Amino acid sequence: MGEGRHSRSQTRTAYALLAPSLFGITVFLVLPILVVIWLSFSHWNLISSVTPAGLDNWRAVLSDPAFARSLAITAVFVLAVIPIQTALGLLGATLLTRGLRGSSAFRVVYVLPWICAPLVLGVVWRWILAPTDGALNALIHQRVEWLADPRLALPSVIAVTVWTQVGYVTLFFTAGLQSIPTHLQEAARIDGASAWQAFWRITLPLLRPTLFFVLVTGVISSFQVFDSIYALTPQGGPEGVTDVIAGRIYYQAFQSRNIGEAAVMALVLLAILVAITLAQQRWFGRRTTYDLST
Amino acid sequence: MSTLDTRPPRALRGTRRGDVTAYVVLSVCALVTIAPFLLSLMTAVKTPQQFAAQTSLAPPHPVTGGNFSTLFGGQYDFVTPVVVTAQVVGVILVGQLFFSVLAAYAFARLDFPGRDALFWVYLATLMVPQIVTIIPLYAMFAAAGLRNTFWALVLPQVFGSPYAIFLLREYFRGIPEDLISAARLDGCNTMQVLRYVVVPVSRPILATLAVITVVSHWNNFLWPLVITSGPTWQTLTLATANLQSQYNGNWTLVMAATTVAVVPLLVIFLVFQRHVVRSITITGFK
Repeated sequence: MGEGRHSRSQTRTAYALLAPSLFGITVFLVLPILVVIWLSFSHWNLISSVTPAGLDNWRAVLSDPAFARSLAITAVFVLAVIPIQTALGLLGATLLTRGLRGSSAFRVVYVLPWICAPLVLGVVWRWILAPTDGALNALIHQRVEWLADPRLALPSVIAVTVWTQVGYVTLFFTAGLQSIPTHLQEAARIDGASAWQAFWRITLPLLRPTLFFVLVTGVISSFQVFDSIYALTPQGGPEGVTDVIAGRIYYQAFQSRNIGEAAVMALVLLAILVAITLAQQRWFGRRTTYDLST
Repeated sequence: MSTLDTRPPRALRGTRRGDVTAYVVLSVCALVTIAPFLLSLMTAVKTPQQFAAQTSLAPPHPVTGGNFSTLFGGQYDFVTPVVVTAQVVGVILVGQLFFSVLAAYAFARLDFPGRDALFWVYLATLMVPQIVTIIPLYAMFAAAGLRNTFWALVLPQVFGSPYAIFLLREYFRGIPEDLISAARLDGCNTMQVLRYVVVPVSRPILATLAVITVVSHWNNFLWPLVITSGPTWQTLTLATANLQSQYNGNWTLVMAATTVAVVPLLVIFLVFQRHVVRSITITGFK
């Protein structure tokens, strides 16, 4: 380390160790990006041969109101899910760090949905929200079309998503809260600050890195939501009200077999996510993970 | 030790009445979290007759394993998806851990030209969402004649993931230099250093990573959905989705399927929950 010059044998060893992952990343991550760019300028229906399309796909997608609507639906989804799960997660974490007995058991319970397949949870919730034989309507003794009513489908999908993710957000805030030195809050309380003031003036500012991390990773993953929505409201839902962007890409590519336009949409999504990630870098410095030494 | 278990001083913990309120809120949330799991399990052990005749909230009476035997019997053959999923996850797990350890060690401990640029490329790939690569990967696998094969399910993941490499690199950087140079003096080559020094001291992070890998690939849906067709290479998530769309209304059977898809992970989770919880607090994403 730090010798300035690279020894030849070390270089050879390093590249030998890197060879498999370098192969994997080149072939299955970098090359696909180039291929998707190429496909965005091509016509292809999965069967016949690929033909050049110039800017056709780009023009078609960027002037397609359905695509704009899909982006808007995704934005609404993200703008609803993120604040709700962040607020609930912060509340949960505050309760979990009061030092109550059994806190760790609660923590384990809350994480359960997070480790299960979103697709499988979507299937379970599809039954719970089913109009005639679903559990929720049985509980409230009413017949509500949670997933088939165009007004209710998106809120229902948002609620299920929050249910799935809030435990993980809670856990993350719990770790953040516990990393704040308690003597700071103690000092504030001794100086006469109320619990509320201590929270706003001391805890929240110190929690900022955690907050940003939770917000940004949450936004990025919500932008790509697919599995649970595929299970809950297939084909974009009633009147297309749950037609999120990842679903639109999937249906466009593998049902309408319009690979060129799907490739354009995928690239637009990639651009959005890169922009969000770069904004995160600026806000957040270069620190992307937490200290592993604990 | 883990900072997760430290209790704040009494002065900051609020009042007794606050504690009671906190317990109530936490319990209600726990109930809301667990209820769907219990409901689906309850439905999975009900007879279809009872499900049709009574409300969905009625407890199962009698308790039956019939849905599971139907599921694993000839018509639905859920054995295949379980075996396929276990094989896919097993191969990916071994490959990913092995190749990620190699790459992470190179990045953490060796000095070579191009290291920083290359590491930046690895990190940058973390930004690429799965839905973006799925179309080109489909095109590539179709061109290679590998659609609907076991290879298609494992190849994109088996060579290590940038995320695993990143996590391991951080950990390997913390290993004391003395430990490694002592092994070197004893005549160990790089593979021996990895095997006898690096891997043994990295057990916690490797266990964490193993759990994350198993969970995320057991749960994977989009890629199997795109690249496989028919029953031969159907994974569990795919089989569950198909069962639901084909037999909508046959909820006792569908809930048996979701139970089969969830229970192995719950067992792994409960055994390794400290690792999983830690991994979430360390990293926050899969």
